[in-house]
Amino acid sequence: MELNDEIVIDAPQDAVYAALNDPEILQQCIPGCEELIKHSDTELEAKVVLKVGPVKARFSGNVTLDTGGAPDQFSLTGQGNGGAAGHAKGGADVKLAADGAQTTLRYTAKAEIGGKLAQLGSRLIQGTAKKLAAKFFASFAEVMAAQKAG
Amino acid sequence: MKDEVTREERVDALGGMGCKRKRVEDARFTQGKGNYVDDLKLDGMLFGDFVRSPYAHARVKSVDSSAAMEVPGVLAVLTAADLEPLGLHWMPTLAGDKMMVLADGKVLYQGQEVAFVVATDRYAAADGIESVEVEYEELPVLVDPFEALQSDVVLREDLLGADGGTPDGAHGPRNHPNHIFTWEAGDKDATEQVIGAADVVAEEMVYYHRTHPCPLETCGCVASMDKVNGKLTLWGTFQAPHAIRTVVSLISGIEEHNIRVISPDIGGGFGNKVGAYPGYVCSVVASIVTGKPVKWIEDRMDNLMTTAFARDYWMQGKIAATKEGKITGLWCHTTADHGGFDACADPTKFPAGFMNICTGSYDIPTAYLAVDGVYTNKAPGGVAYRCSFRVTEAAYFIERMIEVLAIELGMDAAELRRINFIKAEQFPYQSALGWEYDSGDYHTAWGKAMAAVGYDDLRAEQAQRVADFKAGKTRKLLGIGLCHFTEIVGAGPVKNCDILGLGMFDSCEIRIHPTGSAIARLGTISQGQGHATTFAQILATEIGLPADSITIEEGDTDTAPYGLGTYGSRSTPVAGAATAMAGRKIRAKAQMIAAYLLEVHDGDVEFDVDRFVVKGAPERFKTMKEIAFASYNQAIPGLEPGLEAVSYYDPPNMTYPFGAYVCVMEIDVDTGEHEIRQFYALDDCGTRINPMIIEGQVHGGLTEALAIAMGQEIAYDEMGNVKTATLMDFFLPTAVETPHYTTDHTVTPSPHHPIGAKGVGESPNVGGVPAFSNAVHDAFRAFGLRQSHMPHDHWRIWKIANELGLHG
Repeated sequence: MELNDEIVIDAPQDAVYAALNDPEILQQCIPGCEELIKHSDTELEAKVVLKVGPVKARFSGNVTLDTGGAPDQFSLTGQGNGGAAGHAKGGADVKLAADGAQTTLRYTAKAEIGGKLAQLGSRLIQGTAKKLAAKFFASFAEVMAAQKAG
Repeated sequence: MKDEVTREERVDALGGMGCKRKRVEDARFTQGKGNYVDDLKLDGMLFGDFVRSPYAHARVKSVDSSAAMEVPGVLAVLTAADLEPLGLHWMPTLAGDKMMVLADGKVLYQGQEVAFVVATDRYAAADGIESVEVEYEELPVLVDPFEALQSDVVLREDLLGADGGTPDGAHGPRNHPNHIFTWEAGDKDATEQVIGAADVVAEEMVYYHRTHPCPLETCGCVASMDKVNGKLTLWGTFQAPHAIRTVVSLISGIEEHNIRVISPDIGGGFGNKVGAYPGYVCSVVASIVTGKPVKWIEDRMDNLMTTAFARDYWMQGKIAATKEGKITGLWCHTTADHGGFDACADPTKFPAGFMNICTGSYDIPTAYLAVDGVYTNKAPGGVAYRCSFRVTEAAYFIERMIEVLAIELGMDAAELRRINFIKAEQFPYQSALGWEYDSGDYHTAWGKAMAAVGYDDLRAEQAQRVADFKAGKTRKLLGIGLCHFTEIVGAGPVKNCDILGLGMFDSCEIRIHPTGSAIARLGTISQGQGHATTFAQILATEIGLPADSITIEEGDTDTAPYGLGTYGSRSTPVAGAATAMAGRKIRAKAQMIAAYLLEVHDGDVEFDVDRFVVKGAPERFKTMKEIAFASYNQAIPGLEPGLEAVSYYDPPNMTYPFGAYVCVMEIDVDTGEHEIRQFYALDDCGTRINPMIIEGQVHGGLTEALAIAMGQEIAYDEMGNVKTATLMDFFLPTAVETPHYTTDHTVTPSPHHPIGAKGVGESPNVGGVPAFSNAVHDAFRAFGLRQSHMPHDHWRIWKIANELGLHG
């Protein structure tokens, strides 16, 4: 499965980059995120409740960040396990470009999904993933706007 | 007033062989009064279910059941570690391999059983399953058998030799750790020589995809260990209850007389319910551990993902012929995807079943077949779906090769078949790959079929349609799918057919009651075939008592004589023969009783429908009813009281049913949709016991064939996910998709069978699939299509049209 999108965020690039690496902000924005622990600058551990069609499960997983291209780009890879419900692994490349006071964010994400999640939810996964991504960036934009206002 | 019953009326009153007797089973089935294993509810019964692997290939690093044990209602969680001290963490398969009962260090396919949660009810078990934490480490996945034979990834580390090499398997040398066996038949050098020197050779790869019989009732069992008297009772969806009893005894160490296996009503089997599954073993262990009855019932996903699948054969073929179309040689190399364990249910000497029936209905002087079995990260199984023993694969292969050869020769495919059929006078026919065909008359059947469908007119219509299509007047093509199949069923002669050393005979035991009714018990078990109806008909004709007065009982190993069960169209050829032979023993004793009662010599009376009559004096007779009473209640010098018989029948040969099928199909080039305009099915199953049941068997088998050819498959993605594990994705035809079928028959009795019957349960599936598939291919023949793999769903048909450039 692949996802691509481009979003304009009403905040300067540095702020966007910093927020994307802030576990607290991420936890607020990731739909269903119950816990996000930062083990190091590049290692995160997450617990997320996810529902795809008839399958609902608590996924626990690890995310590794590659911040080598800061502040213009970073990439992440991760994997999660939802027990009987299935498992997923994947990664994303994110590119940021300053556009005046705003920032344009482009991402491409790839995921491989296994277990019941893949079997029962296969028709719904693309749609669900898009919806979750949209939700994330909507929340993210809100947080950034609040930061700006504050 | 009529004072005498005519002979015809006496025959009619018996309801014997050849009449359309209504199924005696249907009264209970149509009223919801069937008794299936899940209907069984015992006091204190527990429920067990599996934690299954979401991965297709992974190490199991740990199984933590502590949280699951906290779930209300959960009583126990069994893992391989718990079964190991009992030696039950692995079990033998019916194919000479072994398989894990519960994951022992690794998993080899998605859905594999990892732990067994035992709880007070199904809901608590499901909650318990959610709470078992399993730590997996993913391993590379092999879903392609060709890749598996090249890969460094070893699926079955348990089979590696101490030196890391690949020791021989149950069927001889293995040439790669993921290789299971090579099996050969025929003459390789001679065949290659014929092909090398031939006028014309057609070569093609024919794939028969992996599918599943998907019986409406899934697999399940109830195990109940009575610790006081040491007896284990096991109810379940077993197609071979006696074989299950023996296997359970061998692997558990419980003596066979202390095991009672009962198959109640079974809601469809089709080979899915032949094998021994981890659910049975775990239920038995759980019952022993808890002292309570334990039930295990698969859900639909469990059934489609893990219990016996069907096919998955890659068949590379070469067929050689003269310019005139006379076939001179056939070569086939098959790569057989068996999944993670080799759990087929083939006879021991036939690891690729009877795939060597692949010369089909044709007189092919030289042939060679090799089959390589391969391990992959897919579910085990392989012999299922009304095909058993790879006869379906063989028929599909040869019927596709004939079509491809017809293209190569520029010949009509019906004519090519006709000039190559084995002739009636050639029977018994010795095939190049080792079988002796018992009887057949293919030319008569083919001629009847061609006349019935108006073959020449159909071809003329098709040619016009192609012209119209090219002229832009229509977007629909017409396909004429032909098939003439020859089956091999009725396994089988004990001298060369056994499963795990169990000879493939079958049995019948008859007890006549004093008032002239009877009970007969058989070693087989009906799963919808209507045994209670048809076996009573055989007996009625043999012993002269009405079918309605004969109870047929099967499926309880404490009462039924030993037999190998029902699959592979073997019930009529084997148990049906045993029934007739046991009936003849009854008749032989009845003759002596009748002679005594009529005060004549034994040789002076003869059997006539329902009585013995004095030869030349038909007014002097004793009916079988009278004889039955006398057998118990009259002291007859030299004869024991009673009238009982038992027969164990070891068939001298297999039987070879055949048939001629034609499918006429309209195909919409732009949507890939198809419409079956006509389906004609002529079956020759030898002597016909009940024409109505045969028709029902043919309708059912054809509908399953339609499903397989036109959409049904067990598909895997690259990660080994089963993509079709629910009925949302797995095509099961309903009345909407099912066409009208015209059935017909010829009768060529089997010369070696007591009543000449051959078996019919699988014929429509064996012959139906090539007929449907050939219709799709034939529709596009004029545009250059040679081979396109099944299933021919709308998307794949659309793709054929698209690749042939028919979308403009």
